[in-house]
Amino acid sequence: MRSVIEVAEDVCILDTEASPEHLARGTAEYADAMLIVVEPYYKSLETGRRMAVLGTDLGIPRVGLVANKMRDERDLSAVREFARSNHLEIAGVIPFDDEMPGAERAGLAPLDHAPDTAAVAAIGELAARMVGDGRA
Amino acid sequence: MKLVVAGKGGSGKTSISGTMARLIARSGRDVLAIDGDSNPNLALTLGIPPDSIGELPTLPRDLLQRTQDGPKLKQSLEEVCASHSLRGPDGVTLLVMAHPQHAGAG
Repeated sequence: MRSVIEVAEDVCILDTEASPEHLARGTAEYADAMLIVVEPYYKSLETGRRMAVLGTDLGIPRVGLVANKMRDERDLSAVREFARSNHLEIAGVIPFDDEMPGAERAGLAPLDHAPDTAAVAAIGELAARMVGDGRA
Repeated sequence: MKLVVAGKGGSGKTSISGTMARLIARSGRDVLAIDGDSNPNLALTLGIPPDSIGELPTLPRDLLQRTQDGPKLKQSLEEVCASHSLRGPDGVTLLVMAHPQHAGAG
C-alpha cells in the first residue's frame, strides 16, 4: 500500500478502523495528517486518544480529533476538556445531524441526500482546512 | 496530501471521509479514496452504488514486490487503478482493500 499512497494523485484519503494491528501494518505511517473521529462520550474519546498516540508514534506530523455527532454545549465542553488535558488538537467539530443516518437509510451519499445540511457544511469546512484553502 | 481518517466503527468516520473526498474533488483536485475497513462501506458515502463494488477485485497481497530499492508496485498506479478501482461522482477514484468475506486476507 505504501507505494500506492506515495504515487497517488493530489489527495489520498485512507479510511481505516485504526486498530493497533491496522496501523502497525504500515499503511498509515506515510500520511501527512491523521484525523481521528470521536463521539462525545468517554469510551470513544479514550479510544481516540490511544489512536492519536499510535499516530504520533508512527511519525504522522499532524494528528487531530474530529468531534462528531455533537449535540450541545455540554458535548463541546466535554470534548474540549478531554482534548486539553490530553494535549490533543481538535481538528473539527461536526454537529449531530439526522440527515447523516438518513442518507445511509436512503442508500445515498450524504452529499447527494442532503447537500445543505449542517453536518455536510461542517465537513466541507474541515476539508478546506485540511487542504489549506477555501475552495473545498 | 495523504490523509488517514481513523475511528471506531459507528463513529461516523466513513460518512466523514466519503463526504470530504467528494468535496475536495469538487474543488478541482484529483482524489484517491481507499477503503481500508474490513467491512467496506466507503462506496456508499461516496455515492457509488454498493452493489457495483461486488465484482471489483480487492488489492491483492502480492501487489508489491521486494526490490533492491525497497518495495515497489508490480504494476503502475494507473494499471492498479485500471483493474482495481472505480470512479465515482465528482471523479473520486475508489480502491477497496478487502471484501467482507475476505476480511482475513487483508
